[in-house]
Amino acid sequence: MKKILIAASAALMIASCGDLTSLNQNTKAPETVPAGTLVANATVALVDYLSDVNVNRNNFTLWSQHWTQTTYVDESNFDYNNRDVNGNTFDAMYATVLRDLSDAKGIIGADEQLDAATKAQQLAVIDVLEVYAYSTLVDVFGDVPYSEAIGESLAPAYDGAATIYVALGNRLAASIGVLMAGSDNGLGSYDLLYGGSSAGWAKFASSLGLRLSIRMADVSPTSAQAGAEAAIAAGVITLASESAALNYTSSPPHTNPYWDALVQSGRKDFIAANTIADVMNMYADPRRSAYFKNLGGSDSVIGAAYGLQSSYNLHSQPGTALENASRPAMLIDNVEVLFLLADAASRGYSVGGLTAAALYDAAVAESILAWGGSLTDAAAYLAQTGVTYDATNWKTILGTQKWLAMYSRGNEAWSTQRMYDAPAMNIANEAQRVTPLRMSYGIDEYSLNTTNVEAARGGNDDDTSPIFWDVN
Amino acid sequence: MPEKQVFRVYIFKKYVKTDLKMPVFTGKKDILLLFNYYLTHMKRRVQYITLAMTTVFSFGAFAQNGGETGEVETTNLGIDKLDEVVVTALGISREKKTVGYAVQEVAGDEVTRAKADNFMASLSGKIAGVNVTQSGTMGGSANVVIRGYKSLTGNNQALFVVDGIPISNQITNTGDQKTGRGGYDYGNAAMDINPEDIAKVTVLKGAAATALYGSRASNGVILITTKKGTKRDGLGVSVSFGNSRGTIDPNTYVKYQKEFGAGYGPYYGPDTLNGYFTDAKIVAYDVDGDGILDPTIPTTEDASFGLAFDPNYMVYTWESLYPELATYGQAQAHAAPDTDGSDFYEESVTTNKSVSIDGGSDMGTFRVGMTQYETSGIAPGSHLTRNNFSFNGSLNASDKLTVTTTANFIQQAAKGRNGTGYDSKNPNQSFRQWWNVGVDVDKLSQYYNETGKNITWNPYGYGAGASSTSPIYFDNAYFSAYENYQNDSRNRLIGSIAATYEINDWLSLLARASVDTYSEMQEERVAVGSVDLSRYGRKNRSFTESNLDLVLTANKQLTDDISFNGNLGANSRRTSVDYISASTNGGLVVPGVYALSNSASTPSAPYESAYTIGVDGFFARASVGYKNFLYVDVTGRQDRSSTLPAANSTYFYPSATLSLIFSELMDVDAISFGKLRMNVAQVGSSAPAQALMNSYNMGTAFGSTSLASAPSTDNNANLLPEVTDSKEIGVEMMFFNNRVGLDVSLYDQTSSNQIMPTKVSSSTGSIYKYVNAGVINNKGVELSLSATPVRTDDFEWNMNLNWTKNTNMVESLYGDLESLQLASVQGGITIEARPGQAYGNIYGVANVYDSEGRRMVYDMPSSYGGVRYLRGEKEVIGNINPDWMAGLNNSFRYKNFTASALLDMRMGGNFFSLDTYYGFGTGVYDITAGTNDLGNSVRDLVNDGGGVKVTNVSYWNGAVDSEGNNDYSGNVVGDQYADMHYYGNAFGWARAPKDLHVYDASYLKLREVSLSYSVPSDLIASYGIQGLDIGLSGRNLAILWKNAPYTDPEAGLSAGNIQGYQSGAYPAVRQIGWNVNIKF
Repeated sequence: MKKILIAASAALMIASCGDLTSLNQNTKAPETVPAGTLVANATVALVDYLSDVNVNRNNFTLWSQHWTQTTYVDESNFDYNNRDVNGNTFDAMYATVLRDLSDAKGIIGADEQLDAATKAQQLAVIDVLEVYAYSTLVDVFGDVPYSEAIGESLAPAYDGAATIYVALGNRLAASIGVLMAGSDNGLGSYDLLYGGSSAGWAKFASSLGLRLSIRMADVSPTSAQAGAEAAIAAGVITLASESAALNYTSSPPHTNPYWDALVQSGRKDFIAANTIADVMNMYADPRRSAYFKNLGGSDSVIGAAYGLQSSYNLHSQPGTALENASRPAMLIDNVEVLFLLADAASRGYSVGGLTAAALYDAAVAESILAWGGSLTDAAAYLAQTGVTYDATNWKTILGTQKWLAMYSRGNEAWSTQRMYDAPAMNIANEAQRVTPLRMSYGIDEYSLNTTNVEAARGGNDDDTSPIFWDVN
Repeated sequence: MPEKQVFRVYIFKKYVKTDLKMPVFTGKKDILLLFNYYLTHMKRRVQYITLAMTTVFSFGAFAQNGGETGEVETTNLGIDKLDEVVVTALGISREKKTVGYAVQEVAGDEVTRAKADNFMASLSGKIAGVNVTQSGTMGGSANVVIRGYKSLTGNNQALFVVDGIPISNQITNTGDQKTGRGGYDYGNAAMDINPEDIAKVTVLKGAAATALYGSRASNGVILITTKKGTKRDGLGVSVSFGNSRGTIDPNTYVKYQKEFGAGYGPYYGPDTLNGYFTDAKIVAYDVDGDGILDPTIPTTEDASFGLAFDPNYMVYTWESLYPELATYGQAQAHAAPDTDGSDFYEESVTTNKSVSIDGGSDMGTFRVGMTQYETSGIAPGSHLTRNNFSFNGSLNASDKLTVTTTANFIQQAAKGRNGTGYDSKNPNQSFRQWWNVGVDVDKLSQYYNETGKNITWNPYGYGAGASSTSPIYFDNAYFSAYENYQNDSRNRLIGSIAATYEINDWLSLLARASVDTYSEMQEERVAVGSVDLSRYGRKNRSFTESNLDLVLTANKQLTDDISFNGNLGANSRRTSVDYISASTNGGLVVPGVYALSNSASTPSAPYESAYTIGVDGFFARASVGYKNFLYVDVTGRQDRSSTLPAANSTYFYPSATLSLIFSELMDVDAISFGKLRMNVAQVGSSAPAQALMNSYNMGTAFGSTSLASAPSTDNNANLLPEVTDSKEIGVEMMFFNNRVGLDVSLYDQTSSNQIMPTKVSSSTGSIYKYVNAGVINNKGVELSLSATPVRTDDFEWNMNLNWTKNTNMVESLYGDLESLQLASVQGGITIEARPGQAYGNIYGVANVYDSEGRRMVYDMPSSYGGVRYLRGEKEVIGNINPDWMAGLNNSFRYKNFTASALLDMRMGGNFFSLDTYYGFGTGVYDITAGTNDLGNSVRDLVNDGGGVKVTNVSYWNGAVDSEGNNDYSGNVVGDQYADMHYYGNAFGWARAPKDLHVYDASYLKLREVSLSYSVPSDLIASYGIQGLDIGLSGRNLAILWKNAPYTDPEAGLSAGNIQGYQSGAYPAVRQIGWNVNIKF
């Protein structure tokens, strides 16, 4: 018996004397990673969000009235609360894109092996991505958490949308300087946009600066002009090859989200809205066969009444060009920049000599070329009254053409329409209203960050009240 | 076989005498001997012999006869009277009267009487304070919560302990499955326990009862004592077999409208190509190419707001589309079909076969058992088998040393479990939510069987060219059941070795090593040709928990009046889990080959997780008794847990209990027994695995670029242990010669410092953050009443009532946090915990009500006419907790017949139904058709006299005051009509306030009915048979009362904290079967 006692006691002693806390280590996941893996993940997450047409995550291709839904028309009728699209946008931007970038900054900052110059380049790259993400949030919501976000605070305060825009402009200016001073950011293949080229990032940063400046042109013309001219002087994207593009892979999971929704899902939810169909048909747009399939007589787009339940088979459907898994998606491309330059020129800013009309023509032509058209198509198209640049009515004409050119970039298409108020949006059939001017904050903010969200925008969370830059 | 024997038992306060030729009995051991003697001579009711061996008879029940002689008839010595000793924490048997907390027991035969897939379901209604809900699918999980939800985000399930071995009750269902986004309910691991092996189930409810088990027992403990061998001549052999069949309870399924076919409304024209037919409720398409448009059913539409049925009107339907079918290219009569969604379900068949052999001598005892349980569920293609092999034995190695060993090997395998939630693999998603009532379900079966193909009612249809026969939203439900099937298996060993050494006559030492280990595999498939992307995924998990226990037990009469017993012990527990999950990517290359290598694209790296956690504890208990009427216990336990930071990893928690047998101090004839019990206790609890340090998630590489992402949950390196404090007071009384018994408990339990991943604003950079926070309180009353209204030689009637009321209150969350989201589920509903309210609030956009509680309505802003409900703010629209629960069992014995019936009742609590939320909007349910009180079709426009009448509503005319707020002062109360001509009606998802789809979860169920007959021994003895019982039983025979239409209010998705939500609910199954038990 004594033996048993001894044996049992020994067993218990052995079992209870180990260092218990060592058991807590996660052997299957690392506590630190190369910063580049986080930068790359944030880049993919940012582009994924912007290119997403899944109704749970991004509804702006619908809100732009490029598309409408066939059977389940809730999102076409601006019901974004039901699926918490607003909350999901917060989660995607803050908890993934901005958080990963923030962690990457921490890892790079603490990396003693990295030389100071490369460190500065990498931090500037991260800064440009952060600016992009924050400006996207402001464009969707207006005031958002900025100065206290991704930090110690569990209830980050909301900052004024205009204040954030100014801060973002300043950050970009600083980053452009750093990026122009270097050549290689050392991220190598983790830099999914420019493969480590600082020159590429410098142009991307300038172009983003130009976008933010032009957005503010109607509300703060002086600073907008200064910002735009500085960005243009630093050098913006003018060639398609310079665009900030993510080249998706041909096999899941990193495929273009349009392909995911249109092909992989097997669903048939989206068809052309009458809003875009009417505009494209009016000018016999050469991009019709690229934007849509199942065209009607004279290759016209058969659009369904926006927000009304409609048959998939009997209307035009998103084009085969979008059914390509590896189609690149743009953060900013030369077409958008040309439109921004045309806008700047129209306002009389110094853009380096070209006229507004020439820049506008180039923008439209580049868009047509990008969608498989020819210069001949472009020339014929541009020759039509209503398409030809007209300095007396430039906002409507430029706005409409930019809205068309931003096809498959829902956020930019919607912002463009809000900026220029062109073309006129249709009243959604069920909701009996036009497209909202912003998104209200998600339900989680009201339950988790109540005081701050209630103070945001002076308490006006109405989605019919515009973003600060949308004054006209 | 001896004659039925009546003998005299003389019962005194401290001893018992009989007129059998036996010595005078003075202690417990002697009483055991008496019973052994009696039972060996009687050789009857073998089951009771087993019980007698594991329990010890005490004389409390007969105390009223003190000093006098009494006559006890053998047949009256049933379980009730043997039940006086209870098993408490760590398997310590104690006289029930000495225990200062509530303990309730269920005998083994009550668990096996009407068999369920999951034996936990058999506890429903039988124990006060225990809330059991079944999710409703074959082999699915049962949610077992004792005395309310105590943990805000952690595990609230009771701990299961079998013969001293804590066993895993892991629920491995995915987060998507639990929140209704699809997946399978794989059940809970504790369902592996074989009901045939159960001698007794003991429920320890409060913290005082469970404190010695440590952290995990704060949710209460379900102790299972298995059957053991008995000391006897020869071997005891017991065989039982049975069969039962189940059919759906139509009262828990959709009532379909039978008037209108596919469509969402008058949307199918005019269009530039085709013009339109019949008020645009049907698509015009030139099917035969003759240049003339033909009427075709919009097969893409999974709703029934289409053209009214007219058998004389010929239309092209889904059946006309498939070249494989005889109906190809032919128009069909537009008529209501013969079969509907409920015809999809088959009769379930369950068989149970069990053999056990036991024996024993002075050297020891043993029992071996084998049981095979097989069931095919109501869904086609579903099947589950479970084999249990058990052995337990005890060896009296010497006068002082007893060695016992137990081993249970369990194999479970299932195929074709039912898909759950909002998922194409759950047939109810379409049958209850998105359905064309024009579809004949038998035809789906026929066409699938004829072709083996996915001949669905929901293809793209005419005009879609090459994809015209491809599924758009839904597969043929038979194709899905047979081709998109899953399978899973689990092999498990639960075993222990223990040695008890009697150091002297009052001191003994127990050393025990036990292990619960299993490996399981789950495979899931989507076939090529399904609406979902084809896929194969597999998960492999292995689990091992080992426990080492060393317990010193003392039991000594200190003086004539003062007794002492106590324990000093140590426990070391290690739990390790190793898990890997992998799936194909981008579809399958070769149809029908379900292997990772058959992936169309390179599969993503598998997900892996591995951890070991450990808890080392030391505990002590001291119990002092005074003169057999006053007992005081104190316990203490100190744990050191690996999941807490080193600085905070050691924590201590105490308990104290008191038991006062006041009936010993008074002399009231009517009171046979009376006890007052009270206790206070604390239980400490540690964190889940890996909640301290953050680690990155490695993603699937983007091309050749590796990706990593910060975790969405921010861990916390400074966590402290959780604390649960509880108080309990109770009274236990027996009246009128033990004919009436009463047991009442009041308890108050507060859990604080909870370790939880609280949701934070994502602008912090995290979605969740681990914190110590939150206080939740449960107060409640438990009442058990038992009575034997009639007891004669031939006839006995016993009744037993359990009643429970638990009030739950979330007192605080983290900081100023106003809400803790338990789940965000489809339909814009969240399940939340909010300070000042009960756990499990259902939140959603509610109707606006007037001061009298009438729903407000206003004009539908359209030309259709009619009103719709006025939607207001997001607010509490329900709560998952019942107000009270009750179980009433009546059992009757007449000679050799026994009958019993269990009524199970739940009052209050709510659930949100995604089924009617969508289904009312798709025009599937009966209320969306028919005629209104004006004699017109409800589908006619309200302006034309149609619409659904809504009664006693407050009509708001749209007036606003000077500040732009709604002005309800001019509201008119009365009846109104609501439009029902298309999907955007007032009742479905597009328009309805969410609380229109929140239902009362109350029910009164006839849960179990059984009838059994024990064949008289003189008829069978000559065949060598000692006992033969034949039984009929029924389970879930009827829901006698409920308020929720079209469903079983109990149906859910999975065990766990997310309750109160139905999406694609399965119908209740009425099960009727027979069972035979033979003892040799």
